[in-house]
Amino acid sequence: MARKTFATGMLDALGYALQTDPTVAVLGAWSFIRDRGLPIEQEDAFFDRYGDRLIDPPTSESVIAAMATGAAVCGMRPFVNFGTSSFAFEAWNQMINETGNAHFMSNGQLKAPLVFHMYCGIRGGGAAQHSQSPQSMFANAPGLELVLPSTAADAQGLLRTAIRSDNPTIFLTHTKLLQWMGDTPDGDFSIPFGKADVKRAGRDVTVVATSLMVRESLAAAEILAKEGIEIEVVDPRTIVPLDSAAICASVEKTGRLLVAEEAVATCSIASEIITIVAEQSLHALKAPPVRVARPSAPLAYAPTLEKAVTPDADKIVAAVRRMLNK
Amino acid sequence: MSASLTGGERLALLERMLLMRRFEEEVISAAAAHKYIGRNHLYIGHEGVGGPALVQLGARDVTHSTHRNHGHMIARGVDPGKALAEIMGRAGGLCGGKGGTWHMTDPTRGFGSTSAMVGGSIGMSVGAGFARKQQGEGVSVALFGDGVLDEGISYEALNYCSKFSLPVLFLCENNSQEGAHITSMLAAKRLTDVPASLDIETHVVDGADAEAVHGCVRAALAKIRANSRPIFIEAQLARWPGSHQMRPEHTTGVTDMSLVWDEARITGEHADWVRHHDPIRLYAAKLLAAGAASKDELLAIDARVKNQMAAARAYAEASPFPDASAALENVFA
Repeated sequence: MARKTFATGMLDALGYALQTDPTVAVLGAWSFIRDRGLPIEQEDAFFDRYGDRLIDPPTSESVIAAMATGAAVCGMRPFVNFGTSSFAFEAWNQMINETGNAHFMSNGQLKAPLVFHMYCGIRGGGAAQHSQSPQSMFANAPGLELVLPSTAADAQGLLRTAIRSDNPTIFLTHTKLLQWMGDTPDGDFSIPFGKADVKRAGRDVTVVATSLMVRESLAAAEILAKEGIEIEVVDPRTIVPLDSAAICASVEKTGRLLVAEEAVATCSIASEIITIVAEQSLHALKAPPVRVARPSAPLAYAPTLEKAVTPDADKIVAAVRRMLNK
Repeated sequence: MSASLTGGERLALLERMLLMRRFEEEVISAAAAHKYIGRNHLYIGHEGVGGPALVQLGARDVTHSTHRNHGHMIARGVDPGKALAEIMGRAGGLCGGKGGTWHMTDPTRGFGSTSAMVGGSIGMSVGAGFARKQQGEGVSVALFGDGVLDEGISYEALNYCSKFSLPVLFLCENNSQEGAHITSMLAAKRLTDVPASLDIETHVVDGADAEAVHGCVRAALAKIRANSRPIFIEAQLARWPGSHQMRPEHTTGVTDMSLVWDEARITGEHADWVRHHDPIRLYAAKLLAAGAASKDELLAIDARVKNQMAAARAYAEASPFPDASAALENVFA
């Protein structure tokens, strides 16, 4: 076991990929490697070693997404780092219309094995344009895999799988997770897509949480445990594909479902998960399912306004107590 | 004799261009027979660009096309039966009926993903150039119309290619020269002003002159292969009078080879296009006048092409529609 940050886990996965596969190239290297809290020697070593495949393109998100797609179809495995996820909106047509559709439109003749990585979520002072959580927008576009890691180990193992995948993969990193420490297996390893991870077992309420909300749910679990309430924290890790069986199995055990997601609740991943449980495990529910998510409003800049709408451990605790009438 | 083409190559080029034309005429007749739905953007009038440009490409060279892709496919040697079947939405089509007229592709003939968004594929051509440069062999050819320069991504694509010296030929088929259907709203006086401002070598060529296009593209490809710098070629075309139709018609008539030598019979509303802008008639007349082809040879070429298209139509007609189960296949690799 090695103890490392989420950011280091991702960089190790990228390093292993660059080391073992000459078709891997990075577009947007600087903002993925620099300023992420890594030791400067580690950053420099990375650039020294793989510099010829670490590219910093012009601020042209649309053509970056397009060229990654064109290069992927021609045998490369590009890793694109957009930086803040809202920048990727500039490339929406390319990602949704071209990248996600290429394999299907060609009836399987073409493959676009690439990763679109971006930083998402409420990072503090980001205001409306630098706090986006676009996960459900991507989930609504067929042909794109969608990964939302929450721990250092998941970040590293899932990124290995994403780079190896023959499909285009959206990889969303919550900015507040970058410095979160965690234990990771030694050396090179990968985690399969479509396999949820129970981050904490419990009997009373199933809390399905993604990305940063996993950390908030685990914090909520500590508080609730002192009151004798045991929540089960289920982290789907990938939304496309989604391990609905694991989610339903947990609900069948606990009889209660709360979904914690930082994105706007309307048509969210939380909405989708509650729908799936309603379709498949309604009989097991002892109480109406609950979403802890953002209301549908742009995010404000002022800290008080930001905190008012940001889902966190306290809001999860309060929602669980309400579900249990406590 | 052309500077770059042997006698045999000239006849082969004319035959390929004629196949591109007869293919579109088959598309029109199939549409009239209600064999498929969907709007088709025909390549009629552009054969003098796509034909001579694309027959020169090698197996490692990548092309990205647009909504007006039929001619590009045929020019690169794609099976016309499978292409027609795709347009008719059949299981035996190039893409099993999933792409249709908008998204035909054939990677075995060097095509990447075909986009029907204006500006959708020019950026992917940059990626193909990036990949081929990394891999050490081959160039990328971006095929697009004049309207693409109205899209922001064309600026990004040209800038990227120039900045990173990628081996990409930007081949713009400008059919906005005249008439009621101008698709370019560029404020610059010339389309080539845009790439030139980004330090890209540019050329303008008469798109109705097949051998002029052949020579221009030949020189550009040699230069791109040698120094990995992008080049932009604007091929200027008179818009085919039927190009804007929702439902395609034989607007300028079914191509009649006898008009090559019997110009007096060119009459009617669109006589000007047939006489001065039809690249196939112009090229056949040039070969005839130069003694490079006889009337009998031209008719023999046409007979071969018609036979090939008859077989293609029969193949497409015989191909079934895809089974409903295919609607959910190949979403992921």
